[in-house]
Amino acid sequence: MKRVLFWAATLLVVFTFVSPLVWMYLTSFKTNADIYTQDLVKMFFFSPILDNYVNLFTRTVFVRELINTFIISSASTILVMLVALPAAYSFARYETGHGHLLFVTISTRMFPAAVAAIPFFMAFKWLGLLDTRFALIILYLYFNVSFAVFLLYGFFREIPAELEQAATIDGYGRIDIFRKIIFPMIKPGAAITAIFCFIFSWNEFLYAFLFTRNMARTVTIGLASFWASGQVDWGTMAACVCLAILPTLAAAWFMQRYIIRGLTFGAVKG
Amino acid sequence: MANHVSEATLQAGPSVQQETGAYPKVRDRTFWSVLSDDKYYKWILLVPLLSVLLIFMLYPLFYCIWYSFHEFGMVKAATFLGLENYRDVLRDAEFWQALGRTGIVLVISITAELVIGMAVAVLFNREFNGQNPIRGLILLPLLIAPLAVSMMWNFFLQFDFGIVNLTLALVGIPKTSWFAPGVGLYTIAGISVWQWTPFSIFVLLAGLKSLPRDSFEAAKVDGASAWYTFRRLTLPNLAPLIMIIVLLRTMWLIRLFDPLYGTTRGGADTELLDWMIYRNTFVYFDIGRGSTLAVISLFLTMIVCGVLFRQLMKALSATSE
Repeated sequence: MKRVLFWAATLLVVFTFVSPLVWMYLTSFKTNADIYTQDLVKMFFFSPILDNYVNLFTRTVFVRELINTFIISSASTILVMLVALPAAYSFARYETGHGHLLFVTISTRMFPAAVAAIPFFMAFKWLGLLDTRFALIILYLYFNVSFAVFLLYGFFREIPAELEQAATIDGYGRIDIFRKIIFPMIKPGAAITAIFCFIFSWNEFLYAFLFTRNMARTVTIGLASFWASGQVDWGTMAACVCLAILPTLAAAWFMQRYIIRGLTFGAVKG
Repeated sequence: MANHVSEATLQAGPSVQQETGAYPKVRDRTFWSVLSDDKYYKWILLVPLLSVLLIFMLYPLFYCIWYSFHEFGMVKAATFLGLENYRDVLRDAEFWQALGRTGIVLVISITAELVIGMAVAVLFNREFNGQNPIRGLILLPLLIAPLAVSMMWNFFLQFDFGIVNLTLALVGIPKTSWFAPGVGLYTIAGISVWQWTPFSIFVLLAGLKSLPRDSFEAAKVDGASAWYTFRRLTLPNLAPLIMIIVLLRTMWLIRLFDPLYGTTRGGADTELLDWMIYRNTFVYFDIGRGSTLAVISLFLTMIVCGVLFRQLMKALSATSE
């Protein structure tokens, strides 16, 4: 009896969080008639079509948005890692700034997005950088760097300092220590951090919305544009949502063990 | 600690270096050896980060503070107003409404997430078949773009053909317009709860799994009721984690923006603080007022952030021991 109750409750929980996603994917294969139907039977038993996906690729600039998003997310992630890795190492190994600097770092992440949006809008306007990928790459660097520093800080602290001290005694220089000892040990942590930064950039909306119009627009802007037009094309929108969230679903599935750790800035090991 | 050793070796010359062995390769104080001394090395590593922070923190901060004292509409030159903007905003009913709504969303979302999260965490706090795939499925919503989530729910909650209304009609509940004034705010909070409850579930589950066993066994031996044990042992032990959830969620909810864009667009009495900043600045081009709101919003976040930081550091040093 207890087992039955347990599984009933578990199924209910799984249903709550998964069924909306399943419904979205089902919708993306429906004709408009099947989307607008009030008949519950027809809602589940329909003949699937690919028109929505075809529309998405031929009638919208989805391909360009995908390419833009990919370039922007990758480039900003690489920059973030280049800045965050040495900084996190310095914080973890030498307690540089005795925690005060670390606090300053994390507080930039907590800035209301709009605080940075106003000044940078003016600056980019002046520099002629509005609606360029470069502007978003730079903004996402700012957006993710403090998160990356904090998460990496936790990973670096797990590497025992004794290893490095031993290596120093053995006559290794700074560069060798990094190459042969630190890097191999931080690799998994760095990969997780990088994936998080990539996902956050991929999902970002406010900056993309304010700083791009046409050329540099990202996937989230494409999504939002469905809702902007008077008559919403729900079928194509569903297809767009389904493709746009695919990388994030994959990341969630494969990084199960690290999601909680990442989202809590490393404080909770899920 | 490493600091002292290296300073000593550098000053005392080669013989001592041989003894301590900290820097066997260093003979003279070449440029490189000075740079790779811990004292400088640790700061050199920080140069990129500090330059990024300088640009991205100080410039926007001073810009916003500066223009919050000015009337500036992008067309004419800015004129100095003193504290006029602040007085205006603080007297503005719209501002207090937006702030109040942000508070409502905060309280509703966080309470719901914690209560549901705790219930499910207790449910899952055992070994069972298929626990890993089930965990994976429940985590799926967490990383989806908030905008995509809100557009999904916008679709499900459509008045005429939305699956939610049609399903509710089956059990005799009349169709509801979910984004009407007075309802929309709660719907938006609900959407956020859907996406973020998995976060609470698994943070709390991690906490439940690391509870000290012996005190629970002692409580069992003493014949304490399950509820008593939960209240007196489980909850106090989970308090730091609950604190982290509350603070992180507060931080994210204060700047809630995407779900508004995907649903009501700040209409239907759902305007929150961040939307108000956006509207004043980028729709009305009132930079002065926008900056004032941004500074106020920043001030509110900094308070929460200060507390959050201390909790995070405590948790980090507790787990890395």
